[in-house]
Amino acid sequence: MDNWVIALIKVVFIWTWTLLIATLMTWVERRGSAMMQDRLGPNRAGPFGLFQPLADGIKLFTKEDIIPEKAHKILFSLGPILFALPAFSAYAVIPFGDKLVVNGKEIILQVADVNVGFLYVVALGAMAVYGIVLGGWGSNNKYSILGGLRSTAQLISYEVPFGLSLLAVVLVYGTFSLREISLAQQGTFLGFLPNWGIFKQPLGFILFIVTAYAEANRVPFDLPEAESEIVAGYHTEYGSMRLGLYLFGEYVNMYTLAALMVTLYFGAWHLPYIDMSKFLGPVSYGIASFLVFFLKTAFFLWLFVWVRWTVPRFRYDQVMGLGWKALIPLALVNLFITALCIQLTV
Amino acid sequence: MAKPVVKKEYTFLERIYLWEIVKGLKLTFKHFTFNFKESLKKGPHTVPTCWQYPEDRRPIAPVFRGAHMLCLDDEGRELCVGCGMCARACPAKCITVKRGKPAEGEEGKYAGKTMSTEFTIDMLRCIFCGFCEEACPKGAIQLGQEYELAEYTMDACIYDKERLLANFQKAKAEGKLKPPKKPVPVAEGDKKAAAKKAAQKPAGKEATKSKKATSKPQAEEKKASESKGEET
Repeated sequence: MDNWVIALIKVVFIWTWTLLIATLMTWVERRGSAMMQDRLGPNRAGPFGLFQPLADGIKLFTKEDIIPEKAHKILFSLGPILFALPAFSAYAVIPFGDKLVVNGKEIILQVADVNVGFLYVVALGAMAVYGIVLGGWGSNNKYSILGGLRSTAQLISYEVPFGLSLLAVVLVYGTFSLREISLAQQGTFLGFLPNWGIFKQPLGFILFIVTAYAEANRVPFDLPEAESEIVAGYHTEYGSMRLGLYLFGEYVNMYTLAALMVTLYFGAWHLPYIDMSKFLGPVSYGIASFLVFFLKTAFFLWLFVWVRWTVPRFRYDQVMGLGWKALIPLALVNLFITALCIQLTV
Repeated sequence: MAKPVVKKEYTFLERIYLWEIVKGLKLTFKHFTFNFKESLKKGPHTVPTCWQYPEDRRPIAPVFRGAHMLCLDDEGRELCVGCGMCARACPAKCITVKRGKPAEGEEGKYAGKTMSTEFTIDMLRCIFCGFCEEACPKGAIQLGQEYELAEYTMDACIYDKERLLANFQKAKAEGKLKPPKKPVPVAEGDKKAAAKKAAQKPAGKEATKSKKATSKPQAEEKKASESKGEET
């Protein structure tokens, strides 16, 4: 019974935490983009405009919920749910810290340490495309369907290198469990480099980050939305909280992918050269590991925003070209070299 | 002949995007840090490219064309004689002027022998071109610096004479009156001849010709009005 309570607390905590970060990210995105474009952004609601997401949320909730007359009612309402649900549940297998020892009981800071956690994340990431396609199809609008179409076309070009770059990581660590991968990144290798994934898989990380941007539908791969070309893409017809779910799901996706980057390539909760567990108490170590993990994630979240306002959008065929002609061969080469190195060293 | 387009051969670094993206990130980060630092400073208008409107306002040039006002001379007499030149010049036909004689015992209130009994400007139709200002022989109507002209009703947007006079009083109190127009220097001898010449020329050519030719007749009028009104 006790384990149930702990699991419930963890679920509720990570759920609210993810929502909080996603809400905050809308503010960071707007203020950050404004600063990059020599503007100020929303700075009226609360200190530094921090209550702006709250005001936006209230607005979205109180708006009229419109379903277009000629839309497919079921698919139209299913779209946002199918998009947001995988986004919210994907974080379950990603750790958010090491462990917390309370009253001699060890609590792992991870909702579920699934031994195929990896596949779970990839599968749910691919699931989110259903939300986009069904929303686009159900809207019965040319721009929406174009957005959904682009989403599927994009999926087949980025999902393969995405999986292949992750496969190389699996080869390096010999496990699918994200917690075990995190634990394996402690200490140093070759005497001076921190034992992080980025130093073992530099090419793999570049491939992963590029495909992760495509997975999150962020610039430069935000083709399904492409507001300058197809109005708003798949969510053209959406309003009120249905639109809110789409927008929110995007940020939750970003958070999950940023956390995945940190877990796989940037040593999860480990600091380079410093072993925190040696000089911190059990509770403070748990909190410190959580904070370190979050700070690293926050950097990658910021990178999402930063890249968005720097790089222009890829053209439709350019994404295909990049995916099939550059990323997949590179991912295969990366996988081959990794396999060769492991075969030679073991 | 148009310049032929030369396609640049991309280098390897450019073709793999990544280094160029890093360069771009550097640029956006520079903008971000600069604006971030500036926005944390105390005081209005710290980010140089951003005016936070109700608090920060851009400086307005003295020749800005905002809300109209009917000017008084230094003795507090109305300059307007009700000639209707402004209404005639107005391309939007938004000015209504009716000329009348001042009532018994009220002659001291007006600079001229006649006055306007009615003077309304429909601000909903006004396009702020400033032609009325140029047409006025007495310098009575002027466009001020007020630009927040929103009202709750359409009727409130039709400015009557009291309102236009009040605009002048307000601008005077705030020191926002237009600087007097500089008279264009004209040589004494050929003043009349030049004026005659300018009058004969078609209007289109006049504008493109030298300053002197265009501004002479105006300058004379202005001089006359100024000597009557403002310089006394």
